[in-house]
Amino acid sequence: MNREKVIEQYTRRTHILGRIASLVTLILLVGAPFAIGAVLGAMPDLGAAARGFAAVGIVWTVSSVVEFLVYTPMLGSGGSYLAFITGNLINMKIPCAINARDLSGVKAGTKENEIVSTLSIAVSSLVTILVLALGVLLLQPLTPVLQNEALRPAFDHVVPALFGAMAYKYYRKNIKLAVWPLLLMSALFIFVPALQSQTSILILPSGALAIFLAWRQMKKEARA
Amino acid sequence: MDVLSQLSSGPLYLICGGIIAFVAVISLVFAIRAWRAGLAIGMDRAVLKKVVTSSASFSVLPAVAILLGVIALSGSLGIPWPWLRLSVIGALHYETQVAQGAAEQVGIELSGSAMTAQAFVTIALLMSVCIMWGMILNLFLNRRYTERIQRPQQKQGAGFGDRAMTAMFIGLVSAYIGSYIGAFVSGGGVLSFAGSALPLLTAVFAALAMALFTRLSKREGFRWMEEFSLALAMLAGMAAAVVLSLAGIGGAI
Repeated sequence: MNREKVIEQYTRRTHILGRIASLVTLILLVGAPFAIGAVLGAMPDLGAAARGFAAVGIVWTVSSVVEFLVYTPMLGSGGSYLAFITGNLINMKIPCAINARDLSGVKAGTKENEIVSTLSIAVSSLVTILVLALGVLLLQPLTPVLQNEALRPAFDHVVPALFGAMAYKYYRKNIKLAVWPLLLMSALFIFVPALQSQTSILILPSGALAIFLAWRQMKKEARA
Repeated sequence: MDVLSQLSSGPLYLICGGIIAFVAVISLVFAIRAWRAGLAIGMDRAVLKKVVTSSASFSVLPAVAILLGVIALSGSLGIPWPWLRLSVIGALHYETQVAQGAAEQVGIELSGSAMTAQAFVTIALLMSVCIMWGMILNLFLNRRYTERIQRPQQKQGAGFGDRAMTAMFIGLVSAYIGSYIGAFVSGGGVLSFAGSALPLLTAVFAALAMALFTRLSKREGFRWMEEFSLALAMLAGMAAAVVLSLAGIGGAI
């Protein structure tokens, strides 16, 4: 079978599989509280759930829309279906897929990139599921170790450690693109400290500025 | 049996474990399909292997941190539900906040002693509903969106798509590094320099470690390090957080 045909078939089936998997997972996740309720002999208070959604859900809905718009182009269709099903995007799946893309040397927007990001997210999900299953199995002996006061800062700072390492990797090769978004974001967080809780939403303007700078840089190179 | 014991009972493990097993199968199917498609379009098997090993090694540390989230929530929600939420769809930073917010709406504190069966199922429903929008958007818009974003890339030339994705990621990293700078400079009041410097210092140490491992991995005999450099740099950053914290450096003044 030639390459084009393989890609066409792979993409078509990815959408079918991705949609079915998303739909079934949705039904299972929304259905689970009711199934648990049947076991416990109590059903959810839908009025309180609606009030709760109005209070805390709206912010997460906006955040989900931003995540979909930003991450789908990075991950491609297969990677995106799987990443949104398996979760932990910012602290795990996105950096994992980007790191895999760099190591394999594939270009964004290509089918190779989509395959690499899908494979990377799938492996990452399986490892997470395995670690958590083992952790739950060994919860009694592990809890005192993991909750040890001395070790606590390590696990509280996984995300800063991740972004520090990624910053070196990306800033080193693209310092001109990084300066303005970093200055702008730092200024925003310094002068409006309340934004600390909205970091995931600020990714959008920061990314848009970096993309604009990349576009300007490309135009300059084309003129030179 | 009290509510907390009921929340960690066999039937709940069965319900939550079943859903996790379903998602594990989905992940496995996606992995096998991607591997086979990669080979079919002529990708090097060694490259695909590298993707698998680097992704697996990278994921262990964040997964252990996520396990801590399970432990933290298990005191009020039992073990199976946090296990499900953090294995599938959930996010470490999201679950605690939403569980807390949901408990307030139900009119209880998020604690094992205050938990009732109805409060639990209401909190669980809210946790599911609040985070499902990414999946819903994927369900209806993924195809159209991915097809649309590929079109302008073709017009502008293959080069810009790659640059745009790199730039987007730089924007993402900058938002987080900026937030660590802001937390230090204004965490204790605007321009007070009294906030916690630990996130920023952790990021700096991880960046230095990454620089070291990147250099080392270019040397003969250390090439294997390339696949593990990110995981090792994170480990170094986390170790620095422990040492700095023990030394009393970086905490809020």
